[in-house]
Amino acid sequence: MKRPVASGIAGLDYLLHGGFPAGASVLVEGAPGTGKTTLGMQFLYHGATVDKEAGIYLTFEELPEQIYEDMLAFGWDLRQLEKENLLRVICISPEILLEQMMQPEGLFEQIVREMNCRRVVIDSISLMHDGLDAESRKNVYRIRNILRKLSLTSLLLREQTDPERTEITYEHYVADGVIRLALQKHMEKYRKRTLEITKMRGTRILEGEHVYRITDKGIHLIPALSMVEDRGLRKDVSVVPTGIARLDELLCGGIASGTAFILDTNSKANYKYIMGSIFAQRLLAGERTISMVPSISTLFDSKRIMALFGVDLLEAVEQGKAYFLDHFERPAPKGFEQAVIQLNHVSDEEYHQYLDEKLGPIVNESRDKGENWFAYYDLNTMFSERGKSFVKRFFAEEVNRARAVGLTLIILCNFAEIDDETSAFLERTCNGVIRTWVDGAYQYLQVTKSPHGRMSEPLLIENIAEKPFIRLI
Amino acid sequence: MSDSYIVPLQMECTLFFQMNPHAYETLDGLALRLGRTPEHLDQVLQKLVTLSILKRMGEGERAIYSYNQPDMIHVS
Repeated sequence: MKRPVASGIAGLDYLLHGGFPAGASVLVEGAPGTGKTTLGMQFLYHGATVDKEAGIYLTFEELPEQIYEDMLAFGWDLRQLEKENLLRVICISPEILLEQMMQPEGLFEQIVREMNCRRVVIDSISLMHDGLDAESRKNVYRIRNILRKLSLTSLLLREQTDPERTEITYEHYVADGVIRLALQKHMEKYRKRTLEITKMRGTRILEGEHVYRITDKGIHLIPALSMVEDRGLRKDVSVVPTGIARLDELLCGGIASGTAFILDTNSKANYKYIMGSIFAQRLLAGERTISMVPSISTLFDSKRIMALFGVDLLEAVEQGKAYFLDHFERPAPKGFEQAVIQLNHVSDEEYHQYLDEKLGPIVNESRDKGENWFAYYDLNTMFSERGKSFVKRFFAEEVNRARAVGLTLIILCNFAEIDDETSAFLERTCNGVIRTWVDGAYQYLQVTKSPHGRMSEPLLIENIAEKPFIRLI
Repeated sequence: MSDSYIVPLQMECTLFFQMNPHAYETLDGLALRLGRTPEHLDQVLQKLVTLSILKRMGEGERAIYSYNQPDMIHVS
């Protein structure tokens, strides 16, 4: 991958996984007033002041004196940067520029060399039109090739004449990347500014429309699907990977100890590999575990799935690393008996006290030794066996108790089967929410809440032959 | 063209290049920027080149005029 060149807009660099690919020519299009000039100049200003990379702003219509004046509003003293030979705002006609770019040792090459220029903004590429589409396309192609030859990372500004129409022009094909700025209606009477990257060769991007504001320091973009980070939770905690690469990336390494996550899954979704991978990783990390056996599968199934992930569940049981809560009287694999806590005869009133008696001493003694615990709850089974009101009462208390002793919790639940109020309550109580559902012939997964404030777009789940048997795309 | 226009137009051109020190313009281009006709400016530009206020690159219609920035004098 090419070296990323920072855009000067932190949110945009986040979308670009670091910045524009070095040497790329990126089309930035938008209607008047969307902030194309500001974006272009912010890119050059950042280059000059932070990365010490010289830049050229080529303006065909707007006079430099106006640009110097306008940019002072953001505190950017362009004249000073010109004195330091880190910037030049060049006013030239499009025909002369092209002529000089093509000429060996022409003006353009001379200035680039003299300044050791690394960044260029052309305002605007729309003025390169000469009436004939074929010739205009050739001109834009020529410019892109010259910029590439000189290893210049460049922004080609383009005026969008009809903001209502998404036009695909030859510039879109020729450019290495396309960024679209727009002013859109927001809640009837308001307007919002959005930025969307629709193409970028050489780097992965975060798709979608992202809202930005023009502040007194320039453009400030807030990536969509980002929420406020829960900093209080993240201090000095260990993070155990889920074993699913993309999910770990989204969760900044995995699931932090002491946090509670919900895995919301609809009835058709297959969550066994997601859960299996998370559970196996916790055991492999040396954590001790408590898990509720779901109504729809047995401990034989759990043993088989753990074996697929390279974990011998019987060995974990024998080492006191795996305990199970079961609401049903049913057979268990040989050797598991001592680890299963039967709940079928326990009333709602006795529930907490019973669990405390059975697990309290073990967990407390182990916590004193500094061991970490992981618990997996199947709320679907709890709903069916103990009812909604018990879950609402039990759950908040259980999450708080778990947090108090530093337990990490994963709660399996199907939001579709519970009312809005209960699902909102569950979501609020937990630090993270991972949703998975089936739509048509595809299964999706989305992180909708995380302690880092990151959310993801819906990712496709693809089955693969090796561990963890799924891949998120 | 009357000589009375020469000095004001010289000032207009000089001021333009002072304010936009990295402007590279042809006669037609500058006329467009200043809202004058090329005929009015032709003689003025020749004069500014002679005075070393402007530099000329190339010849004829495609000649490019740019500002000959005065060296800064630093007073310590």
